[in-house]
Amino acid sequence: MRNVERLCLAHFWVAFAAFLVAALLGAWQMWVRSPLGANVGTPSQYFLSVTAHGVAMAYVLTTFFIMGFGYFVAVTALARPLPGKAWAWGAFWVAIAGVVLAVATILTGQASVLFTFYPPLTASPWFYIGLVLVVIASWVWCVLMLVAMQAWKRENPGRPVPLAMFATVANAVMWLWTTVGLAVELLFQVIPAAFGFIQTIDVGLARTLFSWTLHAIVYFWLIPAYIAFYTMVPRAAGGRLYSDTMGRLTFILFLVYSLPVGMHHLLMDPEHGNGTKFIQVLLTAFVSVPTLLTIFTITASLEIAGRLRGGRGLFGWIAALPWERPMVLATGLSFVMLGFGGFGGLINMGYGMNAMVHNTSWVTAHFHLIFGGSVVIMYFAIAYEIWPRLTGREYPSLASLRLQLWLWFIGMMVMTLPWHWLGLQGQWRRVANFNYADPIIAGWGPWVIVSLGGGLVLLASALLFVGNLFALHRSAAMAVARPLYALAVHPPQRVPAALNGFGLWNVLVLVLMLMAYGWPIAQFVIEPSPAAIVHRVE
Amino acid sequence: MSDPRLSDPHVLDQPWRIWASVVVIGILLFGAALGVLIIPVVQGRGAGIDMYTAICRALGILPGSPAQPQPATVSPPTPVSQVVWTPEVLQILARGNTERGRAKVLEVCVACHGEQGVSVSPDYPNLNGQSGAAIYKQMHDYRTGSRANPLMTGIATALEEPIIADVAAYYAGQPKRNPNPATLGELPAPIVRLVELGDPNRNIPPCAACHRPGSGGPIETPILSEQGHAYLVQQLRMYASGERRNDVYARMRTIAARLTPGEIDGLSRYYSAGFR
Repeated sequence: MRNVERLCLAHFWVAFAAFLVAALLGAWQMWVRSPLGANVGTPSQYFLSVTAHGVAMAYVLTTFFIMGFGYFVAVTALARPLPGKAWAWGAFWVAIAGVVLAVATILTGQASVLFTFYPPLTASPWFYIGLVLVVIASWVWCVLMLVAMQAWKRENPGRPVPLAMFATVANAVMWLWTTVGLAVELLFQVIPAAFGFIQTIDVGLARTLFSWTLHAIVYFWLIPAYIAFYTMVPRAAGGRLYSDTMGRLTFILFLVYSLPVGMHHLLMDPEHGNGTKFIQVLLTAFVSVPTLLTIFTITASLEIAGRLRGGRGLFGWIAALPWERPMVLATGLSFVMLGFGGFGGLINMGYGMNAMVHNTSWVTAHFHLIFGGSVVIMYFAIAYEIWPRLTGREYPSLASLRLQLWLWFIGMMVMTLPWHWLGLQGQWRRVANFNYADPIIAGWGPWVIVSLGGGLVLLASALLFVGNLFALHRSAAMAVARPLYALAVHPPQRVPAALNGFGLWNVLVLVLMLMAYGWPIAQFVIEPSPAAIVHRVE
Repeated sequence: MSDPRLSDPHVLDQPWRIWASVVVIGILLFGAALGVLIIPVVQGRGAGIDMYTAICRALGILPGSPAQPQPATVSPPTPVSQVVWTPEVLQILARGNTERGRAKVLEVCVACHGEQGVSVSPDYPNLNGQSGAAIYKQMHDYRTGSRANPLMTGIATALEEPIIADVAAYYAGQPKRNPNPATLGELPAPIVRLVELGDPNRNIPPCAACHRPGSGGPIETPILSEQGHAYLVQQLRMYASGERRNDVYARMRTIAARLTPGEIDGLSRYYSAGFR
């Protein structure tokens, strides 16, 4: 077990080191775009920084955190050793090599293409190869998760896979599907262009392939938060999970409906017909179902906990909840951000309303609130929850943990709500600076400064988070062993195979993907569009 | 471990398989029927588009929206340059033969631009280490009349396209001269600012947005460092007056017209100084 703990900690520390650097860069970016720091730094430095921030937050923090968390769940939820530990370490070092390659190209200014690439802009090939290595490492993780679940199933025939592991494997299966679009774009279009093997690139096809990955990748990042909601929060609150079946359905629905919906990122792109966009937007609407199921189930679970703790009346159970526990507090704060962020997401989903906010700060604010806010705050809560189990030590005090979570919540709200407003005013995204001498843009200034304030609070919270973990490593208090995973009100004795594996769902995903992406991708082969000349940024 | 109470998972699973498939595929078919049949046909009827065309447009097989008649094609544009960066042109450039290029340079170009691209007069541009695409574009523009010069028009018209690529490849391969950072240090801050940040108040983008190597500007963007001061001043003035007009989308005409004479001089000094 010691070795697995080292494995988990190695992944988590890489994730959070990248997170800290990215938080610093993020605050700097807010500063130079504000009237206070206007014209500090050059556009090249700004785009270099945005690329580093995006890669660190979206690829390094998430992938390493999810891999580490997956290994932890596989060992603790299944209560059996991790299969293929050597493979896991190998994947870790491959991913590290990939990150080093990507970071080296970014820092030398050869990869300022942002984490979403934007062909025909083309960076150094080593930037993409670095990211491909990270993806390959994550594929090894996916296989290990599948192997671990299958081995457990063989040893426990007919028994339901523990929900935490079922959800982790759902995420692994989804990730294997998700990365196909990105991998095809990088391997057949972008990397050959970066090496100079091809001189032109079909941008429409590249964007379509990226959209395949772009929405589901967000759910890849989000599922650890939902695993915590279902399997850790009810226990932390002192209650039980309201329904285990709801949890299984939620993760299955994420697998099924996160993939054939990516075209809602291309609503303003001209190369696809209105009908195919309509189908994907309709399917997008169904992605809200698992989130609504979760809000209902977790609220019900918390109500059970609140009433067990003596809460009375319609809302009295809320006050009775143990808000002093980081996991419970983080869940409450996460739900508030999920509410605002989810509402914003519904706007982005509608064709007409999306046209209003397209390419404005609204979009940037939305994904910061929903990912940086409601998801990352749960990464903190998970880290706080399992760190004592990994190190055998206990926090000297929970007060600074709570302070950190509150700072993150306040910072994120103060940063993103004005940012949404600026988007509605028409503030464009992906620009290095604003001309505040322009009378229209001058009116944005105060809101940008408020937003910067939020960014600085976030930076303080990020520093405190890492500080809290360091304090734990130095703490003298020994952790007391206590159960982590919640029991369901009615623990499942037997579940249909459909809720205990992914065979059926993979077939349905295939059908959906063929219908949703078959023609949109085939059209580029049947009738190639004029390709764009590759633009190198090296 | 098998528990006799557990019923056969296969039987237990059957309704799940059936209903999950029915629901998921039902939603998909509902979306498809609405998105590519009903809505386009109804919208098309209102816009005077027949049913078949409306469905093809909804699928993306035909261009345009099923809800609106396709606008009539506007009058054909007349480009300021005939150079189109097709893969074929890029192939011609990539196949440029420096040996043949050198022979042609010694025959024709050497008198003004020098054997190594260092020009004999400040009025002529230095070509050493210039981007091959930039040289190719200008020679091609002289041939087609997009750019005019009493000397160059005649010379370029006499050259075939592959020879232009050879000459471009030859000069592109010549080494740059040593930069002179001492001169750069004397430049006033407003000029450096114009290069790095532009002037948003006057809608002037930074020069470096295109002219810094690797900045992602158009492929034909020339390298300006170590270019002759007099030549740069002359070209910026010609852009400003509209006398030179082979810049696509009038990018340089727009920018140059917004520069003061002092800035034209300062920027020319900045770029003639050379830097890396």
